[in-house]
Formats: sequence, C-alpha cells, structure tokens
Amino acid sequence: MGMINNLRRGFAVTLRVMRRTVFGDGLLTTEYPKESRQKPERFHGRHVLNRHPDGIEKCIGCELCAGACPARCIYVRGADNPIDEPVSPGERYGFVYDINMLRCIFCGLCVEACPTEAITMTHLFEMSVTNRDDAIYTKNELLVNPEGIPNHMFTPEQDPMVNLDELKDADGWMRATAPSGRAAYEGIPGWSASAGIGLRPPERGQAGAEVEEDDDD
Amino acid sequence: MADLVKITVDGRQIEVPHGELVIRAAQDHGVYIPRFCWHPRMREVGMCRMCLVEIETPRGTILTTACTTTAAEGMVVHTASDTAKKAQEGILEFLLINHPLDCPVCDKGGECPLQDQTMAFGPGESRFVEEKRHYEKPIPISDLVFLDRERCILCARCTRFADEIAGDPLIEFKDRGNHTSVETFPDLPFSSYFSGNTVQICPVGALTASAYRFKARPWDLLVVESSCSHCTVGCRISVESSQNHVLRFNGVDNGATNQGWLSDKCRFGFEFIGSEQRLRTPLVKVEGEFREASWAEALDVVADRLGAIIEEQGGDAVGGIGGARSTNEDAYAFGKFMRTVVGSNHLDARLDDGLDARFLAAVSPRAKIADLDRAATILVWAPDLKEESGSLYLRVRHAVQERGAKLVVVHPRRTGLDDRATHKLTYRPGEGPALLGELAGGAGDYAKVLETLSLGPVVAVVGRTGLTEQPQLAEEVAAFALSLPDAKVLPFARRSNVFGALDMGVAPTLLPGRAAAGDSEATGHLEAVWGPIPTQAGRDTMGILQGLVDGDLKALVLLGADPVRDVPAAGIARRGMESAEFVVAIDLFLTDSSELADVVFPAEAFGEKEGTITNLEGRVQKVNRVVTGPGQSQADWTILDDISRRLGKPLGFASAEAISKEIADVAPPYGGISWELLEWDAKEGAVVPYGEAGQPVAYRPDGVDREALAAMSRNPESGAFALHLARTLYDDGVLMRNSLSLHALAPGGAVHLHPADAARLGVSEGSLVEVETVDASVRLPAVIDPSLATGVVYVPFNQPGIPSLGSDLSVVVAAGEEVSA
Repeated sequence: MGMINNLRRGFAVTLRVMRRTVFGDGLLTTEYPKESRQKPERFHGRHVLNRHPDGIEKCIGCELCAGACPARCIYVRGADNPIDEPVSPGERYGFVYDINMLRCIFCGLCVEACPTEAITMTHLFEMSVTNRDDAIYTKNELLVNPEGIPNHMFTPEQDPMVNLDELKDADGWMRATAPSGRAAYEGIPGWSASAGIGLRPPERGQAGAEVEEDDDD
Repeated sequence: MADLVKITVDGRQIEVPHGELVIRAAQDHGVYIPRFCWHPRMREVGMCRMCLVEIETPRGTILTTACTTTAAEGMVVHTASDTAKKAQEGILEFLLINHPLDCPVCDKGGECPLQDQTMAFGPGESRFVEEKRHYEKPIPISDLVFLDRERCILCARCTRFADEIAGDPLIEFKDRGNHTSVETFPDLPFSSYFSGNTVQICPVGALTASAYRFKARPWDLLVVESSCSHCTVGCRISVESSQNHVLRFNGVDNGATNQGWLSDKCRFGFEFIGSEQRLRTPLVKVEGEFREASWAEALDVVADRLGAIIEEQGGDAVGGIGGARSTNEDAYAFGKFMRTVVGSNHLDARLDDGLDARFLAAVSPRAKIADLDRAATILVWAPDLKEESGSLYLRVRHAVQERGAKLVVVHPRRTGLDDRATHKLTYRPGEGPALLGELAGGAGDYAKVLETLSLGPVVAVVGRTGLTEQPQLAEEVAAFALSLPDAKVLPFARRSNVFGALDMGVAPTLLPGRAAAGDSEATGHLEAVWGPIPTQAGRDTMGILQGLVDGDLKALVLLGADPVRDVPAAGIARRGMESAEFVVAIDLFLTDSSELADVVFPAEAFGEKEGTITNLEGRVQKVNRVVTGPGQSQADWTILDDISRRLGKPLGFASAEAISKEIADVAPPYGGISWELLEWDAKEGAVVPYGEAGQPVAYRPDGVDREALAAMSRNPESGAFALHLARTLYDDGVLMRNSLSLHALAPGGAVHLHPADAARLGVSEGSLVEVETVDASVRLPAVIDPSLATGVVYVPFNQPGIPSLGSDLSVVVAAGEEVSA
C-alpha cells in the first residue's frame, strides 16, 4: 500500500499537467522559437549602449564598466571628443567598446557602475555564434540607433535565424542625464520597451529643472 | 643630526627631530594627515588648509595646519579629534564647491588625491546645490600640458614647482577670491623642460598631459618600476602600460638620483617604444635594397661575410661601435663578442664625448649625486645641465637655492644655472685651457672665484662643454678641481648607459670592471673566463671610422649606435661606413647609419628587456621588462650570442641574468651585485665599486700645469669665428625623432651671435646667416645672444634638417642673402 501511495504522490504533478494538456486547460510548454515568453522585468540579457534624446552617445569612455566587470570581458578605450562634432557630451567619448559575450556572466555590474546610464541590459538573449570572434560585440552591435534599436551582427540573409523585429524589444532607454544634454528634450517620452519607463522628470539640480516658464517661445 | 624632541600624536608619544614639520613627523610614524598642497620635496605654504589638526597650547587647543607647524618638545597633537575631523570635513566640502564632478572623464580619476581623501576624510554629502564655476576647458598651457581651471583647488603645487624647483616661473595665480586661477603669462607658454612634473604632483586633474590624455585609466595600467635611460643620471621611473603599450612614465622618488622629478624628455620620451617605424624583422641588403629576411638567413649572411673578413684579415680588421644605449648585460656581451669572437680591440661605446674612457669610468675620488647635498661649493664646468641632464640640473639648483651652496659655472654661453651662480665665467671655445690656467693662478678677477672654490667640500661636475672643445680640457679641469679642498669629481657624459658600457670594458683602453687594457693581472683574471683576448692597441670611435675610410679596417659592428647622426664629424662617419666591406647593425630603427649597413637586426628597446644600467656616479640600477618587443625583435645579447654561434665561437649566454652573474665574477667592482640584491635590498641601486671591493684603475689626473694649458689653448683661424656646438634637450636623435610629441619641440637650427658681432656683420635677429666649416655650409636664422663672448657663434647640434658642422673650431660666418618678401 505504501508503495502505491508513494507512486501517487510522486506522479501527482505529472498527472495534473497531463490532464491540462490533454483537455486543453492551457499548455505549459511554449513552442519556442516559434513563440516566446515574456521575460521577467529584470531579466539580464545582452547589453546595449544608449543615446541621449538628441542622438548623442551617452557613453563617455570612462572605463568604469570595464573596471567593475568581474569577468574582465569589457574593453573600452577613450578618445578626445571632436570639438565640431562631439560624439558624446563632455571631453571624452568611448572610441572602442567591446564586450566578449563568451566571457560575460551577465551580472549587471557594468550597468551599476555606469555613471551616465549608457550601458543597460535588454531582454535579448539569443546570441549563438559559430565562431569565437563573433562573440565579441563591438560598438557596431551595442550602440542603439536613434530609434533605440541595436544592430544585429548578421543580416537575415546571412543567418536565417536572425529576427530583426525582436531587436525592437531591446530595453534601451534614454533620458537627459548629462549636464550638457539639451534641456528641451526633457519630459519627452523615450523609447522604453519592456521596462515601461515613460516620461521622466529632470533630476534635482539638473539644468532646466524648474524652467518650464522659460520655454514659452 | 638635529636634537630629538618628544611629541604626542593621537595619544602616542614619538621622538622626532627638533623643527620637523608635524605632518612629516606624523607620517614617518604611521599617522597620515590629509593634505593637498604639502609636498615632501617642496617648501610648505599652508595653502589648502586640509591638514588642520588640533594642537594643545597653554592657552587651550588650537586648530592649525600640520604642514606649517614644527615639532617642539612636549607638543600634543590630535589629528582625528571631533574638532579636527569637523574642520577637515569642512575644508573638503569647501574645496568641492567648485570642483566639477567629471571624475569619469578626468585622467586623474582613480589615482586622485582629492577623490581618495574625500572618500577617507570627507563629509560624504555636499550642501552646495548652486551652479558651479565654469571656465573654458581644457586650455593647452604648453605643447605637453593641458590646464582645466574648473578642477583646480589652488594648492599652488604647480606654481611652486615651477618657481622653486625648476626655476622656470612661467605659471602664476591670477585674480583673487573665487576668481583665482592658474595662468601662464600672455604670449608665453609654460615651456619649461620640467612641465610634466606638475601633471604628476597636481592633486586633482587640473593639469593633464597631452601624451596620456584619455589613453587609459589608472586601474588598467600595469606599473613596473625601472630606471630611465635617456641620460646618465638613471632617474627612477615607473613605466606604465596597458594592453602591451607603454602609455606613460612617472617619476619615482629615489633620494639618490631624481627625488621624484623628471625632465619632459624622460617623462614623454617613451613614444619611440611603440613607434610604427620600429624594425620588426631582420633586413638584408641585396643589390643596394633592403629585403626582409628570416633570422637564419640574416645570421648566415653575417657568418659568411664577417667570418670571411675575420679569417682573411684577422679580427683586427673589424671595429665595433655602440653599447651605450644598451643595458650592462648587453654591453658586456658586446665587449666579449668583439674581444673573443671577433678578436678585436677596436670597440668603443663613446660616440662623441671625446673624454678619456679611464677618466669617465674611474676618476677618483668620484662624487655621488647626493654629495651635492653636502657640498659647500659646486663647480660646473660641463655642458649646460638643463639641456643635457635635467635631473642633475634640478639637484644642483636645489643645493644652491635651498641650502645656500656656492656655485661656480664655467661655460661658453648662458646656462640654466646662471641665475643661481655665485660666479659665472664665460669664455671662447678653444680658450678654456688658458682660462683654467688663469683661474688656477687666481690673479685679478679670478681671486674671488678661487676664494669661493676654496670653500670645501667641493663637488665638481666636469664634462665637455661643447663638441668643439679640446677633449683633454675636462681632465685638466678635474685635475684642478681635485686640488681644491675636500673635492670630488662627478664626470659627466650624456649618452644613457655610457658609464655602464665603459665599466663593461666597451672601450679600447678598458677591460670589464674598470681595469686598464694592458694590465697583466686584470687580463689574466679575465682570460681565465674568456679565453685569450687580443693585445694590440685598440681604436676609439673616430679611429675606427677613420680606419674604415683609410681601408685599415674592413668591417663594422654597430650596437644601437648611429654615428652618422651622433658623431659631429658626420662626413667621416658616412664615408667610413660606405667604404666598409661589411657592416652589421643591431638597432631599433632604420637610422641614417643602419641604412648604410648590409644586415640589420631588430633589437628590443628599453622597457622590453631586463638588465641593469650604471649611472654617472657608478650607481647600478635594474631596468625591467614591461611590454614585449615588436615583431621578431630580440635583446642585443641574444643577437650577439646567435652570431657568435654561427661564427663557431659561442659566447654561451643563457639569459641576461646569467650574464649579470658572469659580470659579478669577472669584474671585481661588480662583485656581489645581483639582480636579486637590486630588486629587494638595494632599491636605490648599488654603487660601484660595491662593498669592500676596489677597482683596478683609480684615475687621478695630475696637477695643473699652466704652461701646458697655455699651449693647449687654441684660437680660430684669423677672420673666423670660434664655433660652440652643443646639444639641446630635444634634438634629432633617433629616439627623439620617433617620439613625435617631443620631436616637434626641437629648437631647430640657428646661429647665435653676440650683438657686437651681429652689428659688425650687419645681421639682425631672424635674418639668415651663412655658416661654413670644413664639413658643411648651411644658412640659418640668426639669434642675438648677449651671453656669448664676442667672436663666438653657437649652433645647436643635431637639429632636424640641419647637416652636422663637424667638430672643427673655426667657422666662417657671413650675412646671408635676405629672403625677399
């Protein structure tokens, strides 16, 4: 008798789920990759480098992410910002920015270390490559375009598995955080995929914090 | 030694010298008082107020700055009481009011005293929410340094350094209160040879170096201590690299040599290491054109052709020049290679110094650099130290300015030390011996000078003031100096490790360990390890080059030497190399000389190899590997060892460290010196002769003979000017040429004339002057220079695009045609 009880207890979950599957109460299996589940809000997927609303890069090449990285997978080199056509606010910009995704442990310390919220993590997680060099994501793949969408390393022609629509779910987001960010862009909704961050008020002490009446014209 | 007094710091009683600053006394006993403006090598100012501590006085405790308070008997100091802490927090909050929080983009971020001390002693929060002060940033205050006034906390370290230490007061505070800022003078950049030091001592990121700007962050730098090899002082430096690229040098405070300071040439002269122009493979010349070759192929060519010359004409037909840019180990390998494998005594590490090798290596009694701190009188009869050896210049200047030593400078032209000199004697090149005779006689005006020089102890820095000077003059000067009371001589030559190379026997008259070449005891000792060595008299550099021209010598081995640029008589160097049957060069770059070679091997540079170097006082220090050499480059000793194997007489070296052990065996003065000792026990280096060891040759020049001196004096031919040809800090040398940010600073060719001569010739400032010597004729812009004697022209040596004028004293000068506008 004891044995039957044990069996029944052991198979309880299996039988319950089998009943749901057979009688259609709701499938537990997701038909990945045809469909995909909503990831948890704080999911740590691949990184993106964000831009300010005026299109300027947020990354200032300070290498704090590389310094914080416990896996030593980030390589950054800074350079002097061209005066006529600055790449980022301030004197310095990220000239080289590489992440070796094979080494990355997706801990998110780079995101915490970043003083300008330039690097954030998205919900993208499909990063299979057929060669080790391709696992090194460069600025070309990491930096989002003005719509907030990062690049894929391959085109769909090169790799049939590439789904460019998915990149639109990247969780990059923007905000006028830099002191020299244009105050006129504050309060304008930034693209914000899964985290759902919309309007953000300027921070205390930030240029243009209490200057709404100044924007009459 | 000053009396000791007892003071109490944070409840602990300590004994410190009377009059010691509280901040230094506390630090020596393990209590760190925060500070920004105080620097151990500069005078205190009490400017930043960060070091506020509480001191008990009969009238109650007072808050005062620890950097301006001297220790006295029974003093009670509280560095971390509530009041002291509140004061320190207040000062930090105050300093941060206007300091921008751009640490992530600031080059200092990560090694910033303001950051560190804010973390350790700061309040953690600011009450200041208003807009910070804004200035234009960054502004270049010189070609090498950027100034960001927003970040400046007005500690006056840079301005004090420029004024007190460097003697170039080119930056100063402007305006008052909130508007105070560091400024250069209008139209006058901060063009000090020592400007880079201000970047290192700036406690914030207000001063940054253009060469390092945004290259890396402090935490990803690999920092290795080493010794600079740009001049013969051997300043202690930290070589800092990232991703196998050397990115900067910083000064390390070595009390024996540089005390933390570096000249800009040393600080920024690292760019050649990572230059794209570096040789990466061996090159073999085929039908007049260089072709990249494998090591085996290049070594075979050398073995065939050099071997054939040695076989047919004997080792005596081969000369070897170089070794002064190498480590001691490389130089030793070169000496052993030339003497045992080639079998020749024609080897020399001196390229142009012209000074007797025995004088340079073994003058006795020899001063140490630190003796300058004890000397009552300093005699500088040498090249302009500011141009040729920045750190030594700073040491002399410091001794005179801060300690009140008397200084006598003898030079044909103004030097950087003139403003501090008690006596400055100017003379025409060629007439130095006569001047020396009169000075030694002490008649007339010279009585006062001689009186000053009679104050012992005396340290005499003796070298060749210019390249047209009689080479023997320096020895006569040393002889004179040694007749002064309690005198020591510091022999001066400029080229990096020339003293080490001479100690390794890379000179026709010397064997390893400061032994004379003919000395039977030293020869026997050496032959026990080396096997037989040649006995015939050797030639020096000019002798070798002349021998090649005359056909007495057939082949030449160059080790990091560029005679065509380095030797004043460039014509002979070029003709000698062109007429040689076979030339093999070991070099970093394809230089004007190695271009004339038949085979060129790529060598490892400073920072890519390990070894030791010996400075002008005989101090042996370790240099270390920080990055790997480019391409297939190898250390000099490896290349020589490979060639020796092909020639059938292997040197048999296993490693540079093994060579250092052989040196310690073979050269008695180096006995007991090992890499281990230098890395652990003797961080300041070990002075040769080390320990109880003596040295076989103790070169003590004879006394002064006035008649002989008068006979030695020379005058230019009638109607001609006397040429003063001297080196400048930045020039067209191969390392400078490949350090781009410095090469641009070379002053360029010019003819300096006394105003009276200029008027006589009808020449004004900037107009072209025709200069003609035996070797060359050039047209250069004139500079009016009242510091020269009449009848003298000064032309800086080895400037970009200017042919060498040779070492002949006479020069014909005429006004050139005016360039039509």
